Amino acid sequence: MTLSAYLTVAGLLFCIGLFGALTRRNTIGILMGIELMFNAANLNLVAFNRFLHFDRLDGNVMTLFIIGVAAAEAVVGLALVVAIYRNINTIYAEDFNLLKG
Amino acid sequence: MEQIVFYSLSAVALGAGLAVVLMRNVLHSALMLGLALMAVAGLFGSLGADFLFAGQIVVYVTGVAVLVLFVVMLAGRESDLHSVQTNEKWPLALAIAGVTFCGLWRLFCTYSNTMVRTPAVPTTEGIGILLLSDYALPFELISLILLAALIGAIHFSRAEEKQ
Repeated sequence: MTLSAYLTVAGLLFCIGLFGALTRRNTIGILMGIELMFNAANLNLVAFNRFLHFDRLDGNVMTLFIIGVAAAEAVVGLALVVAIYRNINTIYAEDFNLLKG
Repeated sequence: MEQIVFYSLSAVALGAGLAVVLMRNVLHSALMLGLALMAVAGLFGSLGADFLFAGQIVVYVTGVAVLVLFVVMLAGRESDLHSVQTNEKWPLALAIAGVTFCGLWRLFCTYSNTMVRTPAVPTTEGIGILLLSDYALPFELISLILLAALIGAIHFSRAEEKQ
């Protein structure tokens, strides 16, 4: 397989996640789109590591860090969703308008 | 053999990703998210990153995807199943995603002749050495971030105190 095949899959996955994050009304759906984008970036890092710098492992280590940060982001984001749902009883992003008064 | 593995895993990943974005029932798209993350783990495996294959399964598939499932069940209502789940600006979002992919595609074409030249070797030992030598400071910082996320999640999701 060539490097561009892996990069194309990662790019498609990124654009699918971007589309989901932009179009979903549901906050959990937006978070799922962001997770897909994280995974596409990880795939890119690992592919570049394997094809261009096969004697080093920096891409793999960076991917591990991204996985850790993404897990922390998902935990805090989902806790916020639960807290917002408990307060205003909806999880749709267009209903989050408390600051309009 | 390598091509069969790559194309089947890519098809699963992209199909499940599309299902995550397009399905109306959020519970179904959370299950599809687990499938997409598992396919990405398989792609890590086909790239020779064995430690990341295991880490992706442990952290993403059994951690994040299950957490998303829990929140979908906690914060959902039955009326969600009958309402449209995408906003009315979706043609604009499709255009943004398409333009982004076209730009990325121009870049990817420069690597269309790059083949892998060395056999895959186990990576776990090298990752461990790197984590405790060159990347020691980010490694400690990531543990701090995880602790902060833990405390933040508990703070946001605990029950309100009675006045």
